[in-house]
Amino acid sequence: MNKLLLAKLLVCFTFFAQAQNTISGYVKDASNGETLIGATVLIKGSSQGVITNVYGFYSITLPENTYEVEYRYIGYQSVVQQVDLTENQRIDIELPSESQQLQEIVITDTPEDLNVSGIQMSTNKLDIETITKIPSFMGEADVLRSIQMVPGVATVGEGASGFNVRGGSVGQNMVLLDEAPVYNSSHLMGFFSVFNPDAVKDVNLIKGGIPARYGGRISSVLDIRMKEGNVKEFEGQGGIGTVFSRLAIEAPIVKDKASFILAGRRSYIDVLAKPFTDVFDGGAALNFYDLTAKTNWNINAKNRIFLSGYFGRDVFKFDKQQGFNWGNSTATLRWNHIFNDKLFANFTAFYSDYDYELAFGEDELDKFRWSSRILNYDFKPEFTYFMNPNNEISFGGEALYFKFEPANVSTVNVGEAADNSLPSKNALETALYISNNQKIGTDIELQYGVRFSNFNLLGSGMTYNYGDTIPGVRRPLIDSTSYDSREVMESYHNFEPRLSVKYQLNKYNSFKASYNKTSQYIHLVSNTTASNPLDVWNPSSNNIEPQIGHQVALGWFRNFGVDNDVEFSAEVYYRKTKNQIDYIDGAELLINEYIEGDLLSGDGRAYGLELYAKKNTGKLTGWVSYTIARTELKVDGINNGNWYPTRYDQAHNFKTAVFYDLNKSWQFSANFTFLTGTPTTFPTSRFEQGGYVVPYAYGDGRNNFRIPSYHRFDLSATKYNKTVRKNGKPKKFHSHWVFAVYNVFGTKNPFSIYFTQADERFAAGQPVDTQARQVSIIGSMIPSISYNFKF
Amino acid sequence: MKSNFKYLILAAFSILCACDDQIYPDLDDAPEVLVVDAWIDDLMKDQVVKLSMTQPYFQSSETKSVSGAQVYITDNEGNRFDFVEEGSGNYVWSPVSDPFGTIGDSYELTVISGEDTFKATSMKNRVPTVDSITFEYNEDKIFGTVETYYSAELWVTDLVGEGDIYWIKTFKNEEFLNKPSEISLAWDAGFNKSAPFDGDTFIPPIRSSINPEDYDDNDEFISPYADGDSVYVELHAITEAARNFLSEVQIQTNREGGFGALFATPLSNVPTNIINETSDKLVVGFFSVSSVETNGNRLDVSQVPKEN
Repeated sequence: MNKLLLAKLLVCFTFFAQAQNTISGYVKDASNGETLIGATVLIKGSSQGVITNVYGFYSITLPENTYEVEYRYIGYQSVVQQVDLTENQRIDIELPSESQQLQEIVITDTPEDLNVSGIQMSTNKLDIETITKIPSFMGEADVLRSIQMVPGVATVGEGASGFNVRGGSVGQNMVLLDEAPVYNSSHLMGFFSVFNPDAVKDVNLIKGGIPARYGGRISSVLDIRMKEGNVKEFEGQGGIGTVFSRLAIEAPIVKDKASFILAGRRSYIDVLAKPFTDVFDGGAALNFYDLTAKTNWNINAKNRIFLSGYFGRDVFKFDKQQGFNWGNSTATLRWNHIFNDKLFANFTAFYSDYDYELAFGEDELDKFRWSSRILNYDFKPEFTYFMNPNNEISFGGEALYFKFEPANVSTVNVGEAADNSLPSKNALETALYISNNQKIGTDIELQYGVRFSNFNLLGSGMTYNYGDTIPGVRRPLIDSTSYDSREVMESYHNFEPRLSVKYQLNKYNSFKASYNKTSQYIHLVSNTTASNPLDVWNPSSNNIEPQIGHQVALGWFRNFGVDNDVEFSAEVYYRKTKNQIDYIDGAELLINEYIEGDLLSGDGRAYGLELYAKKNTGKLTGWVSYTIARTELKVDGINNGNWYPTRYDQAHNFKTAVFYDLNKSWQFSANFTFLTGTPTTFPTSRFEQGGYVVPYAYGDGRNNFRIPSYHRFDLSATKYNKTVRKNGKPKKFHSHWVFAVYNVFGTKNPFSIYFTQADERFAAGQPVDTQARQVSIIGSMIPSISYNFKF
Repeated sequence: MKSNFKYLILAAFSILCACDDQIYPDLDDAPEVLVVDAWIDDLMKDQVVKLSMTQPYFQSSETKSVSGAQVYITDNEGNRFDFVEEGSGNYVWSPVSDPFGTIGDSYELTVISGEDTFKATSMKNRVPTVDSITFEYNEDKIFGTVETYYSAELWVTDLVGEGDIYWIKTFKNEEFLNKPSEISLAWDAGFNKSAPFDGDTFIPPIRSSINPEDYDDNDEFISPYADGDSVYVELHAITEAARNFLSEVQIQTNREGGFGALFATPLSNVPTNIINETSDKLVVGFFSVSSVETNGNRLDVSQVPKEN
């Protein structure tokens, strides 16, 4: 006993006695100076190591000694550096990509094993290279469509915007572009996402075990990081596709100090069509575009600033004055500051705006204009304290100001103008968090933290009191209270504990577990099958309580082969949610001041098993993903108060993506998707009322049938053009063609089934014919071709 | 406005293809439920309460009528209106010298069928006059196609005071425009409570809601009105509950195919204001009393100016 104590003391003594020094710095791509997120920094011969943060920074503190430090990143050659740690050292490392050959540096070939060794579970990281390889719809590489290929992600159906993670609704995902939330991530409904792949560096989807630094949504975080811009040389890339033309340029402003990237995309069907048709004469328009820009400046070794912005819009116009458009714009300013070798800080300020506008009217005497928007201003200080190799503490806070403009309506009616705008709503969401990443011995790693979030709905404005909920009926307005500017109208707060544990059995096996509580104070109000651009966000109020989510997940992570040739993971999760929004029958969600009387609130639950196997090496790579899951809601007034499956519930969700590198010129890829049909409501009977034939579902069931299952096979081939000249010199201009076929078998996959009376005019007294109809959004194979280049 | 938006979306999607096919799924069998169809107004014609039973969704034959019931309406002044069975489930009250009801009174419907007694209430609300119906010649250029057509416009000035609710029933050449998409509802002179246009002229989308939207066999748009066509409008003042019912009927029956399916709301049962006072036996349908103003016009193209 005494001996043991002595030994412990001795360990402590040596720990404190020995001088401790820190190695810190950035890990970057050697070709363009882009920082690498999630690169591994390992101390050879020990189990100690750290991972670079989202800004590519790392810090590790060790006793004085000589070390071999190894820097690794997937798709890059590893670099080993000898470090004589007699004092604190700043080491910025540049890793050459696998295709580059550099001398002077010892290059090893040990692959990544983060699947097993990392603490983070329920996370899927997709690099842009993989995203561009997946056979795509209309040949346009797409971030959101790619993440639908990983386990746990579903959608309502083809063409639906947004995505559903582990049984969560579309509005429960936090989609971040360089820290700023993007409220509508789709162009042309859900066919294309708003993120230009040329400007995206890293895509990380967090489905569970959400770290304390993220908050505000209860289902998932999709963290998209933009490229910083090449600090070494001018670089351009772009493409001509079926839908978009793209161009991105990046260049140093001051070599190795400051750079920028500017990337734009525009659909060009209207431009191409203009000479051949008069469709677009008279002011009609149909296009969508986005522009992404970012600049960064390395002020000195301790300070770096980034300024990034996004601007995108979809425009549809009938003629000069009638039509609609919607779009996001975001701007983010960030300052990375290294206080010392151990304390890294990032300060973010962002602005995010989503708005849409519709305009109708024949002339100046009769017109109608309607717009809506959600505006955010945010300030977010975040700190990482690299205490020692075993403890990495993150802490910080956030203040987010919302302005909701549910509907700005102006009408001119027989020459008389009227303003029927709804009052705007203001809210402030604040949060503080602290979290520690702790390693215990070589086997156990913990990440534990808490986020404290607070929400205030601020005046000026009105709160309404409604009568009790009678299932399915609009709640009657009883009275209202008026509030002055800045007065707190309603307030909520939540403690959100977050915990992740990893137990590493051996080099190839680990087990992970996580629990997180999350809260969400703003709500996407949408009762259509797919969410649409007109959906309005509503803040929590005296009538709408914040959504709360709890999730536990357990997983087994296994790598196979010496080079981690195959990664495998199996995870189970259980989610429980509170205050889920649903709608009374006939709810009026647009331009409705009394919208809260049309909302219902209930509980949700979701559970599932996710299997994922990924082959990383060889000519044939790719992955297989399978999810078996269930997601249900229980809302007073719907389905007689019993549990019912959500519209995006899919029992089986199987996806595979396969890539084959034939040779230097040709690469092939294929996708296969199988999904259980989503639920829908079928009527049993019909009756007549005032001459109309009305469907009737005896028993008031909701989502009691399923549409047929979905399967789709896609193929693509990439032809890389020569990269060397005839004289053997490398070309600066690289290009490749992508030939893709979406839905090779032309499967008419069902999107929905609806019940309607036949589309004809029935004479009074004539029996009305009723029928069921099945909709396929894409009912044929869609070939496409695109040309991509880089210079 | 709603349909305008849909039209825009559909136009936007026309670059892609959507397929819409009739299918024949098996539906669950369900017991029959009593249907009360009681839309009473103050026009000088037979007022009918129709009693029938629900039928399987795909059964298009005539409804199964309910006979042997007792049907009457009482008002808050102690008057009773007896509806006499006339076959096919129709129970009829015919006005003799005065139309049905008085504005501002409340009415209770009683239906006694078998062992059960069903009750429902409604109010009879005030209605403004229909000032006029005019015709207009249009040359619209929408996505390059020039459409020339004649449309009608309904001119009504809402009564001063918020909360007047109207149901506009249009008849073209004496035929009721009964497509679900043609259900037209107004809240004062606008669409809903949040954006009231109290005491105003009906706003443009409501003014033009009396035009049928038909397409010929080649999917070409047919002019809503042609030379010699008549238009006749009944403006019904209805209760808020009746409006919610009709609005829900429209949502449930006016289903868009193709890309419109993306924006469909879930199928659900329309509400009812009929209450079974004696047992748990289900009942569907609605009881409404409305006051009505009418007006009409006939299109004479020689009288409609063509400049635009």
